[in-house]
Amino acid sequence: MNVVSRSATRLAASDPGTPGSDHTDLCTASIPARDAAVGREASAGSYAGRHYVRATRYRHASGWLGRYIGLVIAGIAVGGALVLWFAVSASSPSVNPSPKSRALFGGWHVIYDNQAPALTIVIVAVGLGLIFAATAALVERVVMDRSRRSTDVAVKLLAPKLVMAETRGVFGGPVTVTVLIPAHNEAASIGATLDSLGAQHPAPNRVIVVADNCTDATEPVARAHGAEVFSTVGNTHKKAGALNQALSGLLDGLGDNDIVMCMDADTVLDDGFLAAGVQRFTTDRALMAIGGLFYGEEGGGILGQLQRNEYVRYSREIRRRRGRVFVLTGTASMFRARALRTIAASRGRLLPGVHGDVYDTAALTEDNELTLAIKSLGGLMASPNACRVVTELMPTWRNLWAQRLRWQRGALENLGAYGPAPTMLRYWAQQLGIGYSVIALSSFWLLVIVTALTTDQWVWFPFWLGVGSLFVLDRVVSAWSGGWKARLLAVLMVPELLYDLYLDVVYVKGIFDITFARNARWGHVAHAAQPTHETNGAQQRETAEVIS
Amino acid sequence: MTGALLFATVPPQNIMHTAWFASLSMFVAINTVLYLTLAIIKLLPKAYLSDWIDQRNRRSESRSIYPDAEAGPPQ
Repeated sequence: MNVVSRSATRLAASDPGTPGSDHTDLCTASIPARDAAVGREASAGSYAGRHYVRATRYRHASGWLGRYIGLVIAGIAVGGALVLWFAVSASSPSVNPSPKSRALFGGWHVIYDNQAPALTIVIVAVGLGLIFAATAALVERVVMDRSRRSTDVAVKLLAPKLVMAETRGVFGGPVTVTVLIPAHNEAASIGATLDSLGAQHPAPNRVIVVADNCTDATEPVARAHGAEVFSTVGNTHKKAGALNQALSGLLDGLGDNDIVMCMDADTVLDDGFLAAGVQRFTTDRALMAIGGLFYGEEGGGILGQLQRNEYVRYSREIRRRRGRVFVLTGTASMFRARALRTIAASRGRLLPGVHGDVYDTAALTEDNELTLAIKSLGGLMASPNACRVVTELMPTWRNLWAQRLRWQRGALENLGAYGPAPTMLRYWAQQLGIGYSVIALSSFWLLVIVTALTTDQWVWFPFWLGVGSLFVLDRVVSAWSGGWKARLLAVLMVPELLYDLYLDVVYVKGIFDITFARNARWGHVAHAAQPTHETNGAQQRETAEVIS
Repeated sequence: MTGALLFATVPPQNIMHTAWFASLSMFVAINTVLYLTLAIIKLLPKAYLSDWIDQRNRRSESRSIYPDAEAGPPQ
């Protein structure tokens, strides 16, 4: 049995935002840029403390679910499983093994059992699957149509109708692109990132590296590649805080057709990314954001391939949805300046976070949170197939654990902050789906283990062989575009099932941590210092380590 | 937990004949077929009803940033 497309669903439901490194580390410094600008005097420690308390208070006040979101999701999933279990038990099922033997290919004796579930059971299970899929699609469609047609000037501030009305007949100039690259000690990879930007046609109008508490050569390397450098001052809020500082001085000067692109310092854009983005923003002035589709870099052995397969399936799912976004990835996403300004103005009122901040600094996964913010305000988003980026993969299981724990917990916390609003139903469904799939996969492995321990001969079940073959087909087809290595891994099936099991454990740990208010930590893949301005991926991977 | 208890109290060859094992088998069977259904749905191209019957699937005005551009289908 396979819990189908679990990886893609899990990825979509959590936060594929920053597959590569996440920059971190607390620092001590002087006055934050924004406060300095208004002449406020504040010591670093007191500002950071107050700011964090404010951010957390707003977040918890806006999300009554708070730390119980994990329990709510787990409770519903377990409740659903129990209902099914009791319904099954009430029907007094029985197992009557009736193995038969047959000789195949001359001397090979095969023991098989023609047991199969009753037809009514199969029909009920298929029916449930169809109902779940149809309900999810219908709810998403209705919610999206409501947002598209909304004229609610109090809440849906980014709804297409309102944006269209405000910009009708007005030409705000051609689309321009300003790229912000938050970087914390990324001297090893920033060069390749800037090179990929320079190779884009059209090239971005401005490229600003947001150097956040860097102690390596990030700044000189960035300047050597022609980028502007903005150094954060007193930032203690990692990537979100760094971007907030840079955006606070930038957004006011941008017009309706000016685009801000935020991308990671270890991400390389595919050819045509910016051209496709600019074209979409030109032809649709109601479009508020574009999220990149990412795929993993080469290498990394079987762990790398498992992650690449996951990303391939995620991209396939987005293509199947005609570019409708799950998450605006932090690896590379483009935003209309209006969207970011509106979000900053809505925080503390319509949205979680501190008024004036674009990114919610209390969110563990700031890009997932920004997606929910735009969705809440009715904004249109897309992930065109041409907007693709290659990103770094986690080199070790330990790195992967840290990354996914942060994604999973961040996604749950964001969901708790936004609550069960109609626009969030799809995300609730995804989390519930993951929660239930943890139970389903665990019960499958339990059955396999119990059966293996209680039988002394290998018995083939033709019905389940057929079912398993269909799952293999699904795995292979959904990973097909990843190449022969991806297909080979998919056809083996068991490695991917075990990978899913690993992610299930992370999921349960995430729920545990959020419920018992364990401190969240950021995983960081440190890159080796680079003697030249060229990226050496192999060297990076060899020296990568968790320093969270 | 129940499985461990069973192993401690019931001879292994008899576990397959317990009600608990039968329920587990049925539970897994239903979930497997359910997820298989979802897998097949996701394997197929997504069908959009509006592709065939929604005649309003064309914008009434241009959404281009250029006010004089012609209206086109949604992208």
